[in-house]
Amino acid sequence: MTLSIHLTVNGAAQDVALDDPRVTLLDLLRERLHLTGTKKGCDRGQCGACTVLVDGRRVNSCLTLAASLEGAEVLTIEGVARGDELHPVQAAFIANDGFQCGYCTPGQIMSAIGLISEGRLDGDPERVREGMSGNLCRCGAYAGITNAVLEAEATMSETAKEAAE
Amino acid sequence: MNIATPKFGVGASALRKEDMPLVTGRGRYTDDVHPEGTLSAYVVRSPYSAARFTITSTEAAKAADGVHLVLTAADIPHIGPMKCQGVATQPDGSKHAVREMPVLCESAVRLVGDAVAFVVADTQALARDASELIEIEWEMGEGIAETAGALAEDAPLVWPELGTNRAYTYKIGDERATEQAFADAAHVSRIAFTNQRLISNYMETRASLGEYDAERDRFTLTTGTQGVHGVRDTLAKDNFSIDAEKVRVVTNDVGGGFGTKAFNYRENPLVLEAAKRLGRPVKWVGDRTEHFLVDAHGRDNVVVAEMAMDAEGRFLGLKIDLKANLGAYCGQFGPMIPVIGTSMTTGLYDIANIDVTVTGVYTNTTPVDAYRGAGRPEAAFLIERLADTCARDLGLPVEEIRRKNFIRPDQFPYKTATGRTYDVGEFDGHMTRAMECADWAGFEERAEEAKGRGRLRGIGMATYIEACAFAGSEAANLELNEDGTVTLYIGTQTNGQGHSTAYSQFIADKIGIDFDRIIVHQGDTDRLAKGGGTGGSRSIPLGGVSVAKASDSLAEKMRKVAADELEASAADIELVDGEARIVGTDRTMTYADLAKAASMEDRKADAEIVQDEATYPNGTHICEIEIDPETGTSEIVAYTIVDDFGVTVNPTLLLGQVHGGAVQGIGQALSEEAVHAEDGQLVTASFQDYTMPRAEGLPNFTFETRNVPSTTNALGIKGAGEAATIGSTPATLNAVVDALYRARGLTDIAMPATPQRIWNALNAV
Repeated sequence: MTLSIHLTVNGAAQDVALDDPRVTLLDLLRERLHLTGTKKGCDRGQCGACTVLVDGRRVNSCLTLAASLEGAEVLTIEGVARGDELHPVQAAFIANDGFQCGYCTPGQIMSAIGLISEGRLDGDPERVREGMSGNLCRCGAYAGITNAVLEAEATMSETAKEAAE
Repeated sequence: MNIATPKFGVGASALRKEDMPLVTGRGRYTDDVHPEGTLSAYVVRSPYSAARFTITSTEAAKAADGVHLVLTAADIPHIGPMKCQGVATQPDGSKHAVREMPVLCESAVRLVGDAVAFVVADTQALARDASELIEIEWEMGEGIAETAGALAEDAPLVWPELGTNRAYTYKIGDERATEQAFADAAHVSRIAFTNQRLISNYMETRASLGEYDAERDRFTLTTGTQGVHGVRDTLAKDNFSIDAEKVRVVTNDVGGGFGTKAFNYRENPLVLEAAKRLGRPVKWVGDRTEHFLVDAHGRDNVVVAEMAMDAEGRFLGLKIDLKANLGAYCGQFGPMIPVIGTSMTTGLYDIANIDVTVTGVYTNTTPVDAYRGAGRPEAAFLIERLADTCARDLGLPVEEIRRKNFIRPDQFPYKTATGRTYDVGEFDGHMTRAMECADWAGFEERAEEAKGRGRLRGIGMATYIEACAFAGSEAANLELNEDGTVTLYIGTQTNGQGHSTAYSQFIADKIGIDFDRIIVHQGDTDRLAKGGGTGGSRSIPLGGVSVAKASDSLAEKMRKVAADELEASAADIELVDGEARIVGTDRTMTYADLAKAASMEDRKADAEIVQDEATYPNGTHICEIEIDPETGTSEIVAYTIVDDFGVTVNPTLLLGQVHGGAVQGIGQALSEEAVHAEDGQLVTASFQDYTMPRAEGLPNFTFETRNVPSTTNALGIKGAGEAATIGSTPATLNAVVDALYRARGLTDIAMPATPQRIWNALNAV
């Protein structure tokens, strides 16, 4: 049985023929679209390394069946920067030493982008910690991650304000 | 001569130069490498902790869709087992018998996850499907997981022919003198505890990609390691009995190591053997469950420790009985871990007499080996829990018993009763400073305030000392390239610590070159002659000093070449901003021009500084915790660390190591535990059951250094990779116990101090 789906990944339209209905979004990205930036940490939705945005919302791509994504817009770590210009969250992760080995980082960054756009942080570190608690970091860079998300939120709301004016 | 201080030199808070690919999804971890035509492999594993088995047929699996190869033990008689390189010496001088892990089990399995067959197919799903077609007859035996229980007379035997589960006995100290100290003692304090088993859980599970070049009869393995040379050598020598030249090992980005990626694992020879037989690349990627089941575990000691004291609380003698769970096989360094650990068991204290007995014990569980700290966290936990117990028994403040017994600054160099020589240290200095930072004196007031909110507040400290950078060396090879960049080749292996950044700082210091003009190469046996790898916080203390020395030599050569070219004296040449310049003039030449003018000999410099003893970082952790007695949950409300790392190379990188280490150590104190059913089934085999620290519930850390440069290390550096893991576990548990003691008079709690355990403890009295 072959399933055919149409979706947008990082702004590019993709027509995908699935020979197996069990293919997850994570495996679709890594193995078929060769977007290996999204990482597999546990493959059961417990670590957050595979976090991507689907229609602007954070999802664990390992728990999302590709077949369910007809017409969806997917954003992965590869689609976040604009050319050489880093997304404010990416820049904040570097500036705040928000990682060490970097393996959980794509998921952390995507989760942070989604969390900030949810608009409930208000500069509160406790809300950041709670909102980022689905993303494990064994290097234990949580202090840097929290600071990075707070800084990026501030930068992004500043930019949004300027744009509005 | 004048070398301007570069903005990225040693001591600078330089941001990491390796970060850009990692935040943009361009990191290159093992599973991101996928050569054309790569096949996927799956390991068939034992569902039982103890069983005999017969593979009756692999025919159906071999004939299955997409399958290329099925290997069982019968197919690979030429591949040797995973050797133990850390055999302990027993009291009679003998080396103990070792039981090593076969690459594939032949007729018996000894732990859940033991490998019995290897299936290679077009995709992992097909390999997994086919594995179910292998016909295996299992004859279940009786397994044993628990350390102390394994020594019982009627315990099932992991290795029946040995007649016991006791793998070895190791002793250190003076039994008779210690006995006398206990006879003379005014007080004896005693603790008994289990330092529970932990699972490393690096976020990148292990993966191995095997390739074979038939023309050159040569293997290439790509895998995450903590040093390519060690893995190459064991693969060549122990597994394949071939020349090391015949094996190349490549390591790209590594998603965390923490000690347990240092080893050669059985999947490595399997992918290479399969690649050779099939003439195609073969990749195995472990999933999280496999990580939980088969990658080396950490800790797992059952301990009784007693301290003899005089009437004032001076430590006279220390007696330890430590049973170390080895798992079913001797891991690569497994038996040595408690040996290394107990060598640090006197901590920061002047204790004249010790008597330590270590018993290595086989159980039907995953081999236990080096995990962040490797024996040293166990040692620090033991002595720091015991110090608190001594203080409580004698009615002394915890800082006072420590102060009474610290090795004093005038006693250095100090030889411990275990035979180690500490070079320098100001233990009271960092403890006093940490108490100031934590406002120790104001605690009672905060506890009172917490009581008003219905919370039980406790404060605990741990002082620690650990051994890093064990005697040895790490060679550094530098080369000035034709384009004026500088390349460093070094055989350590970053797993996220930021080696490129740190080494570049040493180079920038001497050669006056921009950070991004320095290239650091690790992780390829073809490009590096040798290397000791990364572990025991050795990369910066040993590697860094060699890099600094090689940079000095290269700078000297560069000045000579520039002096010839610019017709000046070498002493008048400065190396600044990527240029050689005659001091005080505008006469310069770029490093690219300098490289073109130089002979090959003058473009290279090597150094290998040998260090004769380990270095000894030390410090104080103070944890303040609040317990909600209604639920048993605890929250760390303040956490202070004052460390002596000798010399700080990069405060930003250092802070990352300290934060991360503390998080892992707090994880052990409060939540992490590998739990086995009695027969050896691992019941905590996912993140659902094995409770990892998450962003929520972690404190803000207050951290500062109070450095006393090492006199052993050429640059005064002591090492910092494991220190916070070592200090944080006892500090956190001491804080929990303090809260329980103040509230209910309780003097101990089992680790991890989970909400359930805390609630039970509070409600049992």
